Amino acid sequence: MKLLRLFAAGFSRSAQATLTFRINLLFDIVQSVIGLLASLATVFVVYARTDSLAGWTEAEAYVLIGTFQLLSSLKSTFIDPNLSWFPENGIRQGKLDAYLLQPAPTLFLASLARSTPLALIRFVLGTVVIVLGVSGQGRLPTPGAILAWIVTLAAALAVTWAMGVLLACLAFWAPRLQLDVFYGSAWELGRYPTDIYRRPLRFVLTYVFPLALIATVPTTTLLGGPRLVLLVPCVIGAAIACCLAVGCWRLGLRRYTGATS
Amino acid sequence: MTAATRSMAGRLPLLIALRIRMEVLEWSGSWWFLLTLVVQAILGPLIGMFVWSAVYPDDPYVATYYVALLLVTVMTESFEQFTFSEKVYDGTISHDLLRPQPVVVNVIGTNLAIRLWLMIMGIPLALLTGLAFGVSLTWTAVLAAVPVFVLAATLSFCWIFLLSLTAFWTERVHAIVGFGWALNTLLGGTIAPLAFLPGPLREVGQVLPFYGMLGLPADVAAGRVHGLAPLLTGLGYQAAWITVFVVAAVLLWRAGVRRYTVVGA
Repeated sequence: MKLLRLFAAGFSRSAQATLTFRINLLFDIVQSVIGLLASLATVFVVYARTDSLAGWTEAEAYVLIGTFQLLSSLKSTFIDPNLSWFPENGIRQGKLDAYLLQPAPTLFLASLARSTPLALIRFVLGTVVIVLGVSGQGRLPTPGAILAWIVTLAAALAVTWAMGVLLACLAFWAPRLQLDVFYGSAWELGRYPTDIYRRPLRFVLTYVFPLALIATVPTTTLLGGPRLVLLVPCVIGAAIACCLAVGCWRLGLRRYTGATS
Repeated sequence: MTAATRSMAGRLPLLIALRIRMEVLEWSGSWWFLLTLVVQAILGPLIGMFVWSAVYPDDPYVATYYVALLLVTVMTESFEQFTFSEKVYDGTISHDLLRPQPVVVNVIGTNLAIRLWLMIMGIPLALLTGLAFGVSLTWTAVLAAVPVFVLAATLSFCWIFLLSLTAFWTERVHAIVGFGWALNTLLGGTIAPLAFLPGPLREVGQVLPFYGMLGLPADVAAGRVHGLAPLLTGLGYQAAWITVFVVAAVLLWRAGVRRYTVVGA
């Protein structure tokens, strides 16, 4: 509860700071809309030439793009600002020292304290695209499918956070290594159904670096209904990823000696 | 033309070459950062290749075009929103304004030095992708693409520099360049080769400058443009857009410098 209040306070402070600059706000809204339109244009162009992309219809592809937007927006809002801050400031400049002295879990402070609320604009846009995609498909998802979709989204978000923490943790051992840009680039591969990638890459994107979970799995759950064979591994996978992240963070902290000591 | 202007014009290539040398050395310590730039640059063409290979699995043109596009993208990337606009924001452009040489000399030198590094890192990646997808480019097509590529690189630089000049008026140059980049990917041939775009979009794409920056050199290198006439038409189209951008950049630069103020000035 205390962490939730702390999280809400940090978010509210960031939101106030962002809303002060109205021109910036306008530019960011326009940029989000343009980014989404570019994604939708790709789908439009592809389906002008074919009825099915690796087995996905046009309406399904829109739901996929919308789901990808939802998770991307949550990643950009809550995870990216911390992940890009950590190796340079936390480790190389030793600002992690200040966190270690504060009365809140260090992992929380280092991985969730910063946020960029404006990125949530894409959340709203993503929701609109999902609604359009679902209505274009002709049949509404069952309540069970919606519930299962939310579960897979939560699992995807947990895995996204855990992967971010694991990559940031590498800085404890290799301080010059900053992998957030590579993470961001790999993330873009989740924008399309993982079925379009060739076998070795598809295997990597499903099991090693589970980007299939980001948009493909939640979308198939929403459109095709809940399947236990998909849901159970998702939840277990997310739990394992979070445990790994926490374990790795503790190991890293033990190694950390501060920038000045 | 006065003697002083003539002498300056004669010295420009030397000044640019010196700047390139200096920047190449300076960037040699940032190989990790340069690698992130390469990865970001190749991602768009790679995703395009996967998408269109899924649509047309038996068409060799798709892979050939996208490997060529990957090379063009890596070698023509421009980052003036960082290398130039940031100097406007933090006021260090004043140092360049005081030097007895045009400010654009340093901007061009930095651009070419970064491109050189991206080329060194990007070409092996493009070759690997070509091998993985069984792509073979013909020498004649690659040679024919060289002049188109040079103009594409110039056009690309002029476009990003033009957008970066808006830093004199707004603090949101990254959003403006981001918008320009979205147009590039949409109409330049990254999300789909121009030939694959639906009718109206294709016609718009053929008129606008973005195809000349990316898709045209990739199409020529992929062997899609046959004969001298279409090649010359393409070069003329690129040259026309370069002229438009250069004139616009000169006008914007003059207006921007008049407006520019900095603490101490």
